Order: sequence, then C-alpha cells, then structure tokens
Amino acid sequence: MEKADARTRLLVEMKQVTKAYMSRKRFFARPSQTVLALNSIDLGIEQGEIFGLVGQSGSGKTTAGRLLVKLESPTAGEIFFDKAPINQLKGPRLKAYRSKVQMIFQDPYQSLNPHLSIAETVLEPLMVQKIGTPVTRMEKVVHTLDTVGLSPGEAFCQRYPHQLSGGQRQRVAIARAIVMEPHFIVADEPTSMLDATIAIQLFRLLEEIKSAFGMTILFITHNLAAARYMCDRIAVIHEGHIVEVNTAENIIRHPEHPYTKKLIKVQPGFKYSR
Amino acid sequence: MLNKYFVSRFYKGWQIFIRNPLGKTGVIILGVFMIMAVASFLVPLIDPMYDPMTGIDPDIKLSTGPSFTHWLGTDNVGRDILAQLLEGAKVAFIVGLSSAFFSIVIGTLIGMIAGYAGGLVDAFLMRIADIIMVLPSLVILLILASLFGQFNIWIIVFIIAIMRWPAVSRVIRSQTLSLKHRPFIEASRVAGASHIRIVLRHIMPNVLPLAFLYMTFRVTSAILVEAALSFLGFGDPSQVSWGMMLQWVWKSGHMFQAPYWLIPPGLCISLLTLAFYMLGRAMDEVLDPRLRKEGQAE
Amino acid sequence: MSLLSVDNLTIGYQTKKGLLRAVDKISFRLEKGGSLGFVGESGCGKTTIGMALMGLLPDNAEILGGHIRFQDRDLVSLTEIEWQQVRGAKIAMIFQAAMNALNPVFPVDEQVKEAIVTHQPDISDSDLTDRMKELFDLVDIPIGRMKNYPHEYSGGMKQRAVIAMALACNPALIIADEPTTALDVIVQDQILREIKTVQQKTRTGLIFISHDIAVVASVCEQICVMYAGQIVETGTRKEVFKSPRHPYTRTLLGSYLSLDNLNDIQVPDMKETPDQLSDDGECRFSSSCAACNKKCAHSSPDWIDISPTHKAFCCNPEMIRRGHGKS
Repeated sequence: MEKADARTRLLVEMKQVTKAYMSRKRFFARPSQTVLALNSIDLGIEQGEIFGLVGQSGSGKTTAGRLLVKLESPTAGEIFFDKAPINQLKGPRLKAYRSKVQMIFQDPYQSLNPHLSIAETVLEPLMVQKIGTPVTRMEKVVHTLDTVGLSPGEAFCQRYPHQLSGGQRQRVAIARAIVMEPHFIVADEPTSMLDATIAIQLFRLLEEIKSAFGMTILFITHNLAAARYMCDRIAVIHEGHIVEVNTAENIIRHPEHPYTKKLIKVQPGFKYSR
Repeated sequence: MLNKYFVSRFYKGWQIFIRNPLGKTGVIILGVFMIMAVASFLVPLIDPMYDPMTGIDPDIKLSTGPSFTHWLGTDNVGRDILAQLLEGAKVAFIVGLSSAFFSIVIGTLIGMIAGYAGGLVDAFLMRIADIIMVLPSLVILLILASLFGQFNIWIIVFIIAIMRWPAVSRVIRSQTLSLKHRPFIEASRVAGASHIRIVLRHIMPNVLPLAFLYMTFRVTSAILVEAALSFLGFGDPSQVSWGMMLQWVWKSGHMFQAPYWLIPPGLCISLLTLAFYMLGRAMDEVLDPRLRKEGQAE
Repeated sequence: MSLLSVDNLTIGYQTKKGLLRAVDKISFRLEKGGSLGFVGESGCGKTTIGMALMGLLPDNAEILGGHIRFQDRDLVSLTEIEWQQVRGAKIAMIFQAAMNALNPVFPVDEQVKEAIVTHQPDISDSDLTDRMKELFDLVDIPIGRMKNYPHEYSGGMKQRAVIAMALACNPALIIADEPTTALDVIVQDQILREIKTVQQKTRTGLIFISHDIAVVASVCEQICVMYAGQIVETGTRKEVFKSPRHPYTRTLLGSYLSLDNLNDIQVPDMKETPDQLSDDGECRFSSSCAACNKKCAHSSPDWIDISPTHKAFCCNPEMIRRGHGKS
C-alpha cells in the first residue's frame, strides 16, 4: 500500500448522484410521496485525505455514505472508485470492491453481533474474503486489536460485546473496518454516541490509523468543529444538496454559503474563556 | 453456537423463568409427566401383565375399578389402565415434541427466507402460509384418514407439522425483518458476506430463542390434534395414547360406568397441555425485549 | 432564603453487584431566578439529581442521606400524593427528546390546557384563554398554530410547546435534562435562546443538565462539574472556562471540540468507567488523573476554595490554588 506518495487524484467521485425514496399508499398505486435524500450531488474525495461531510439530521449525509459502501444503490447518477464505475458491480467484482471499502457505524451498541466473540467479529471480513490462512488470520486479528488500543489483543479476543464499554466496542468496530487494510473508509458519525473524553481518543486513533495505513477517510458528522479538527477538506450538505466544499480552514474562516455561515454562528462556543 | 454468550443469557433467562409462578408450576407438572413417560418403559418389565397393549391379567376379563394389583383399574379387556396412562404420556411427548420440532424447523427456515429476501419471494411464501393457516387441520386430517385408511403415528406427526408451521413462520419473519437492518448485519454485508452466511450465522442465533418459545405452543396443539384424531377413531390403532383410551371407553360403552377409566386420560391431556402453555407464558416474560437489554455492560 | 438547597444528598441504586452510589454527598444552592448547570459524562449522576428533584426516582433507587429543601419544604420525605401537588405546579421538568412527550392524538393547545387545569381546576375560561395566549407568546409559537396536532409542528416547535407546558403553572423551578440533545444545531441555538429569555422574563429558577459544557455555559451562570457521582468543581461560567482547576474539568474542556478551542485540544488517557464502588474518602478520579501522585493515595479529597464562587474537590490544595498558569 502506498503511504507517502499522496498523489492528489480522486479516489472517490460522485457525479450527479440522486437517491429518492418513494412511499406508496397502496401496493399498486403510484408513489404518492418522493423524498429526495440526495439531489443530484457532486463530490470528489482525493486519495489520502480525510474528507468531512457535515450536515444535520435529514441532510442526506448518511445516505451518501451508504451509497459509497453499496448498502444501497443510487436512483440516478454515477459513482466512481479509482476511476472505475461501481453502480453495476456484481458477484466477485463486488466482493473485491468490498475488500477495499469499509464502514464504521455510528451505534457501538448495535454494530456488533452479540452472539459473536470479539475475535469472531474482527475475523469475519478476513474469512468472507478468504484472505490468508486460519493461522495468519488470527495473528492479524490480534495485531489489529492491539493497534486500536485493545491490548493485550489475545485477552480481548475471547470477550463478548456485552462485556465491553461503548468506547471499547467502537474500537472493535474500527478494528473490523481496518483488518483488511482497505483503501477507503466511511466513518458514519463514529463518536456521536460517546462521551467527549472518549470520543477525542477515538479521533486520535483514527488519525494514527490514517497515517499508518495511508487510508482515505470520509468522515460524516453533524459537528462542524469535529470536522474542522479531523478533516483536510469539508463539504457542507443541506437537504440533499452540497452547498459548499472547501478546505477545512477556509470553510471556517471564509464561509461563502449562507447555510454554512449560519452553522458556524450557532455552534456553542467557548467564548467565556476570552 | 453454544458459546459463552448463549450460556450466560440462558442462565439469566432460566433465573427469571423459574421465579415466575407459571414457569414453576409448568415445570413441576411437566416433570411429573416426564417421570410417567420414563416409567412406561419400566412397568411392563415388572410383569408382562402390565403391558398396555397386550397385557392381560389372567384373572380379570372385564373392566374393574381400582385395586391393589391395578391402581387405576382395568379396561374392558383386562388391561391395566395406569400402564396405558404411562404409555400415553410417552406417546404424547413423542408426538408433541417431534411435531413441534418439525413445524419450527420448517417455519423458521421459511420465516427467515421470507423476511430476509423480501419482495416477491416474501409475498409468495406468506400467501402459502396464509392459505395453510386458514385450513382446518383437524378436518383435513380426518378427510385424509378416511381416504387413506388409518395412519401410522409418524405420518400423523408429519401432517400436523405441515399444517402448523405458518404461525411460527410469521413470527420469525417479523423478527428477521427487524434484524435485517441492524448495523451489525449491514456490517457483514459491507464485509462481503454472502446472504446464506448472514442468515445462518447472524440471523438464526438471534431468532432461535423465539422459535423455541413458539415450539411450546405447537406442542400443545399437536397433542390435542392427535388426541382428537385417536378419539374419533382415526389414530394409529397399534399405539396406545390418551385419545385412544378415550376412544375405547366410548366404543366399549363404559363412558358413564367407569369414571376411573374415563377421567385419567382426559385429565392428563388437559394437564399436559396446560403445563406446556404455562411454560410458554413464562418464556414469554424471559424473552420480552423489555427484559433483554443489549447495551448493558456486565 | 434560597429557592433550593441541597445538602449532602446521597442516592443509591440497588444492582446485582451491590449498592451503586450514583450521587454521593452532593450539596448546592439555587437562588430565586438563578440558573445552575450540571455538566458531566455518562454515569456521573446528573440525571439522577434531576429525577430526585422531581420525585421520579425509579423503584430500585433510594435516597440514602441528605436533605433537599425547596421553598422551605423538605422534598426527601414527600409521599407520592404530596409530590403530585409539587410536580408541574411548583417544579416542572423538560426532558430530552421531549417532543415525544406530546400525545399525538390531541391538539397541542388541549395538552397545554390540561397542564394548567390539572393544577388550577377552578380557573375561569377567559383566564384560561388569556394564559394560553401568554404562554404561546412566551415561547414564540404563532397563535394561529395553537390548534395544530404535534405531527404538524417541527422538532423545534414541539420542544417549545413542551417548554410552554412546563411553564403553564408558573413553577418556581424548572429542571431541564438534556433538552436540546436530540435537536439540530440550528434549532438547538433557538431553543437555548428561548430558555434564556423565558427564564429571565419569568424569574424562574433553572437547573440545566447536560453532557455538553458549552451548551450549559450558554444558559447558566453557575456551573457544577460532576464525576462519578460527586461534584468536583463549581464556579461561575467565566471562572470554570477561564481558569478550570480540577484535573477532570481540565480534561473535559481539553476534549471538547469547539470552533474556538481547536488549538487547545489535549487527548486524555482516561478510563471509561470510573470506580463507583470504591471506598469513602478515596479520590474517584485518581485512576485517570494526570496529576495523581503518591500523596493522593494517602489523603481524602476535600473542598478547596479558590474564590467566593469557585471551589474544587481534590486532595491537592496547592495544585488547585496555584492554578495552571494560563487556563
């Protein structure tokens, strides 16, 4: 995996992507209500960067993430990964795609199967993708658990999710996402259900992982300050539209769109220290 | 799959279960019947005269009341009633449990497939389930029996199972539907897991406790159907069961003359089905999501 | 006389592992019209305090000691019937995601009316209508929308309706437990302003509970920082932000991501769940404290005064008084 050469080329591209949800009142009736979760958005994420997607609930940010990991398909538009379109991927090609693109989910209490031990959870991607041998897989699992701060890895292997705290569970979720050393990770609000003192530790972990593995990360959040802290570039999304894209610093210092300006204005601040 | 998580949950569930008065009573009654079923193997060994089908007391040619040699008396051919009752317990368990087992195996598989696949597959399977569910199973069995002559007990078990899986499948399907969108299932999809793997490794363990709960209800209905069939004369004539005993009481005209013969099988049918029902209600409390907190650290 | 004064309050929960002291010897005062914020992370006991002040502790919780005096009345010994006189009328509560507290089958004005009529059954119709208009005005909901159903309101409007219900009987004290956590950042800003304006206009006492220290500071003048069931630092918002003294407060502030402090972020090395079953007298923060030294093992934490309004609970008075140079 290339690490140092952060060529600024687009790893992920979304072109005029639309995702519509239709609800029908009766089984055969025409759809009566169409919700446009994403309305013809364009997005480009460069290799090696942490890209932030900031929006409030209902803005479409989670939908964008789900489209990128192919949990859902766009209603219109094209998505490209490494210059190749992904909309029509099926079978072994889809499986290969999945080995390169992973996701960290928001809820640490729901994203781990309670019946599986930690080792089994982190092993699953390796087993499904038939990577390595049983021996090398276990070594990789233990090593990954150590990497995410669950040390000693062997001890954590035998535990079950209900024995772990929220922050520890989220570390397991991160371990599962990185065990295959994917090229691209979608982190969907990975800390919104955790306390601030735990969340900040996980942010640092994500930064370390990114540097060590050279991964590209899409960081989805509703917290503009978190995005500023973590990300190289930020896109602001509102009601299915991308309203502004810029470097993290410029978004905060020189916001252009009125919605961005509003978001900055309403952030609870630390003004009392000044 | 019998891992630490299952074991610890099972143990916790057991504690809740046994504290429930229905659970306690159900388990006690069930225990008594289980002893009876086991005893049915041993009794004929004491004396061949006690064999439920063929044991004939050389001294008795008619139905007699309870006595020292025959605690519950004898039937009209001289066979020991208690021995028949014990045999009936064995048969009830076999019929009830195997029939219930088959129906939950079928129901769980179909429920999981329908819930997970969704769309046309789901619609198709559920329509079949609906159709079978509204068929009156007893009537169908009677019709089949009168067409094909008397059935072997295992055929009866199988047919009851076929008629009764729809109820299980509905419940399993809803459970599957709610599980389908849970983040840990989506995480497996994102890792590239095949649908079969997801269904067997992730959905099934989460759905099995519910399947077992519904098994208890299936048992009661299986026992009742078999009893009704036998009583009406369509049961397996080579098997002694409680329903069969009732049939003999009736057919031999002893209905109102031999309460010691009439009451025990009827009472047993009621008590055993009641016991399973109580078990089901108590398990309900264990499985109620209100008590099942997933996000709790130990 | 303070509106609310709490002394040495200890509340425990009966769990399978024994008695868990969720709140341990808490003391604080709230004056009439004042605002006090409780900040802390999960498990610190802040929600338990809120529930205790409303008499809504769950069955397995028990007040083990201490006093709660509200308007010269002891709340600890109140029976359920007596609580029904106090709740709503004298002390009102706004919960998290309170919009779910609105009954979807009744129009909003009916629900607010119910709140008023429950405590003032003899109110005249004209007085009732006037009071309704006053309330909806206070929370900025247009009079024309009064008769709508809850699902016709936006999230922010629902929360404001709930605030109106809480204010319906002119309570002397409002307890707000994470009232904006479920809301959009833009709506949160509106609601916080609303709460502040309303509180200042009606001179109602306010206790604001949240895990978000900046949100608490935007509404409350006085802040209590909680950890593992104890208050570890209390001061005016300026004092706590400008010169936090307790190591936990500093950790909390250093972990908080806000647009104006991104350069001061310090990643702590914290244990996730504090030891709440530890003995009396031991510092509960010691296993995660950056400033913990051998002395802490031999001494008990105590209150150290920094200013008339600012104090911290620690074993190390010199460190606390010295401050840390620049905040």
